[in-house]
Amino acid sequence: MKALILVGGLGTRLRPLTFSMPKPLVDFGNKPMILHQIEALKAAGVTEVVLAINHQQPEVMLNFVKEYEKKLEMKITFSQETEPLGTAGPLALARDKLIDESGKPFFVLNSDVICEYPLLEMIKFHKNHGAEATIMVTKVNDPSKYGVVVMEEEAATEEEEEEARVKSFVEKPKHFVGDKINAGIYLLNPSVLDRIQLRRTSIEKEIFPKIASEKKLYAMVLPGFWMDIGQPKDYLTGQRMYLDYLRKNAPGELLVSGDGIIGNVMADETAVIGDRCLIGPDVVIGAGCVIESGVRLFGCTVMRGARIKEHACVSDSIVGWDSTVGSWARVADITVLGKDVHVADAEVIQMSVKPEIVQKV
Amino acid sequence: MGSSTEEKVVAVILVGGPTKGTRFRPLSLNIPKPLFPIAGQPMVHHPISACKRIPNLAQVYLVGFYEEREFALYVSAISNELKVPVRYLKEDKPHGSAGGLYHFRNLIMEDNPSHIFLLNCDVCCSFPLPEMLESHRKHGGIGTLLVIKVSPESANQFGELVADPVTNELLHYTEKPETFVSDRINCGVYVFTPEIFTAIRDVSTQRNDTVTLRRVSSYEALQPATRIPADFVRLDQDILSPLAGKKQLYTYETMDFWEQIKSPGMSLRCSELYLSQFRLTSPQVLASGDGTKSAIVIGDVYIHPSAKVHPTAKIGPNVSISANARVGPGVRLISCIILDDVEIMENAVVTNAIVGWKSSIGRWSRVQAEGVYNAKLGVTILGESVAVEDEVVVTSSIVLPNKTLNVSVQDEIIL
Repeated sequence: MKALILVGGLGTRLRPLTFSMPKPLVDFGNKPMILHQIEALKAAGVTEVVLAINHQQPEVMLNFVKEYEKKLEMKITFSQETEPLGTAGPLALARDKLIDESGKPFFVLNSDVICEYPLLEMIKFHKNHGAEATIMVTKVNDPSKYGVVVMEEEAATEEEEEEARVKSFVEKPKHFVGDKINAGIYLLNPSVLDRIQLRRTSIEKEIFPKIASEKKLYAMVLPGFWMDIGQPKDYLTGQRMYLDYLRKNAPGELLVSGDGIIGNVMADETAVIGDRCLIGPDVVIGAGCVIESGVRLFGCTVMRGARIKEHACVSDSIVGWDSTVGSWARVADITVLGKDVHVADAEVIQMSVKPEIVQKV
Repeated sequence: MGSSTEEKVVAVILVGGPTKGTRFRPLSLNIPKPLFPIAGQPMVHHPISACKRIPNLAQVYLVGFYEEREFALYVSAISNELKVPVRYLKEDKPHGSAGGLYHFRNLIMEDNPSHIFLLNCDVCCSFPLPEMLESHRKHGGIGTLLVIKVSPESANQFGELVADPVTNELLHYTEKPETFVSDRINCGVYVFTPEIFTAIRDVSTQRNDTVTLRRVSSYEALQPATRIPADFVRLDQDILSPLAGKKQLYTYETMDFWEQIKSPGMSLRCSELYLSQFRLTSPQVLASGDGTKSAIVIGDVYIHPSAKVHPTAKIGPNVSISANARVGPGVRLISCIILDDVEIMENAVVTNAIVGWKSSIGRWSRVQAEGVYNAKLGVTILGESVAVEDEVVVTSSIVLPNKTLNVSVQDEIIL
C-alpha cells in the first residue's frame, strides 16, 4: 500500500525550534514527529510513502529519509510543488507515485497530527462501507476552532451513528452544528485522484463535499486521543495525551519509578537525573540530557543534549536541543527555547521568562 | 578639662505613633514601625547604639504616641543590652517635632545636660554624633543640624538649606520648596543646648500665620487657623526657618550615606546600608559560610542565631534572616528581609522582597521584584502569615496578611 504525508511548509508556529530543524524532524516523545506516522503506516502494511513538500529539504531531512528507508525497508520519496497547490493539489501532483495496478486505496496524512493511528481498523471500515473515501474524525470540545464534519442524520441506532456517512463540511462554524472535526487522516480510492486537478484545490471545500453529495464519503470516529501539535501549547497538550496513551498501552516506555518521579515521565536511558528533583507529571527528557539536583520539571519537554542546572524550575515549556537553563532559573508559561539557548543563572536576578520565543542570537 | 560630671548629654529619639508611618503598611500593621528590623535589629536600635558613642551620655528618651506597652519590653531589653538607660515617653497627643521635646523638658533637664540630641528614628545614616557635638561646641549657638548633599532633582522632597561655607552657619531654611533652593538638605539629626526650650516657648506664644507662596489644597485652606494648638510646634517651619541667618544655628555635613525609611521598600535599602556598615564596625555580627557545614554566604548577611539555614542554600548579598526562620535545601536568597518564624521550602528563590512573620514560601516558588526601593511595587512585600504555594511566582506585588497564593501574580496589591 502507499501513503502521502502532507508535510507542507516551514513550520513557523513551532519557531524557534524550526529554525534549527525541519518541522517533520522536531522531536515529539523523543522521536522525530514524522517517524510516528511513518511507523504507523508501516504497521498497517504501507510499503511506499510520498512526502509532499513545498520547498527544498535540508540535508538533515534527506539523510533521515535515507536512514529510515533502510531501517524500515520502505520506499520514501519526495513530491515537491513548485506553486501553491492547497490541500488537494499535492495529491494530483503525486498521482503517478500513488497509483499502481493493484487498485488499492492509499492513505493521506497531515503531518502535524498525533493520535493512536488505528489504520488497520480504518482499512476494514473503508472496505465494509464500500466507500470511495474514508476520513477519520475526532470529537472535540471546541469544534469551532476547526472544520466540522456533519454526519448524516438518518443513522438508526447508536452503533450506526458512529459509522455514518458524511453529509457536509462546515469550516469554523459560528453556531453548533456538530462536535466532530476532520482529524486529517484519509483513506482514498485511486478514483479520488480523477477528481483532483493539478491546481490549487482544497480537499475539504471542493473534493470531499462532492464525494459526500454522491454519498460515497464515510467518516470513522477516531478512538483515543488526537492533537494537532503544530504549535507549542498544543504540542504540550499532545505530549500529555501521548504519555497517557503510553501508560495504558506500553508502560515500559515510561519512567515509572524512582525517587522524585511523579505521573507520566519519559526519559531516554542516556539522560541523567540528579537527586532531590521532582519530575513530572507529563515530562519528556531526551537523550544525553542532564538534570541537576533540586530541579522541578512539570508538563515540559527537554530535548536532546539540554542541561537543566540546579534548583531550576521548568513548567509548560519546551527546552530545545543543547540548551541550558541556569541554576535557580525559571522557565514557564509556554516558553520555547530554541537550539543552543542559554538561560542565565538566577544570580543575575532573572525574572520568570515571559511567554516569548527565545532564540539564540 | 571638661569635667564629666557637668557636661552630661541627653538624647531624644522621636518615634512617632500609629497615625504616623502609615506608608509603612502592611508591615506596620503588625508592629510599630520603629521596632521593624533593619539589618537584624529594630529600626530604633541603630540610632540608640549610635548614641552610645556620645561621651557622657546620661539618658536616651524615646518620645512618641504609641501605647507604652508596645515599647515596654523593648526598652528594658535594650537598656540591659547596651548598658544605656533608655526610657519611652508617651505624648498624650501629637505636639509636632519640636513640641514633643518641649513637652518633656522637665524630665530631660533633670540630668542637667549641657547638650541635647534630637534624632528621628526613621533616619538611616552613620550618626556622627560625637563629631557633631564637637563641631557644635566650636560654634556656640543654640543648635547644629546634620546636613547632606543630595541630587538637585531629589532635594525638594526634603528641607533645603543654605549654609555659610566658612562658618557653617545656617543662613536659610525652607521645607519642601517648589523651586530649587539648594542641594543641601536637613537629615533630621540635631544637637541643641537647653536654650532650645526657650526658643520653642517663644514660638508658641507668638504664632503668626504668614501667607505662604506655596499653593495650598482646598483641605488645607479650609482648616481654621485655631486648629493648630498653641503647643504644636514643628521644628522645621517654626524653629529652623525663623532662626536661620541669626547666628544661632549651624550645620555639620556628613559625607556618609543617608536615607529615610518611609516605605517598606526603603527598609530593604537601609538594611543593605547598615549591613555594610557592620562589615566595617562589627564584622562578627555578620554571617559567613562556604556550603560545607553552613550555607554559602555571599556579601553582607545577617542570620539570627536561632534561625536554621540548610547548608545547600545560598544566601546573599544583602540578606537579613530573623529569629526562628527556617531556610530549606537549595534555597536562594538575594536582597531580602526574612522575618521571624518564616519557613522557606526547598529550591525557592526570594529576591528584592520582604517576607512577613510566619509566612511560608513553597518549594520552587519565587518571590521577587526589580528592586527599585522607592517605587510603589519595586520591592515585593508579604505581610504576616502569607502562604505562597509550591511553584507559585509572586512578582512586584504587595500581599496583605493571612493570604494564601496558589496562582502566580504580578504587579498587584493583594488584599
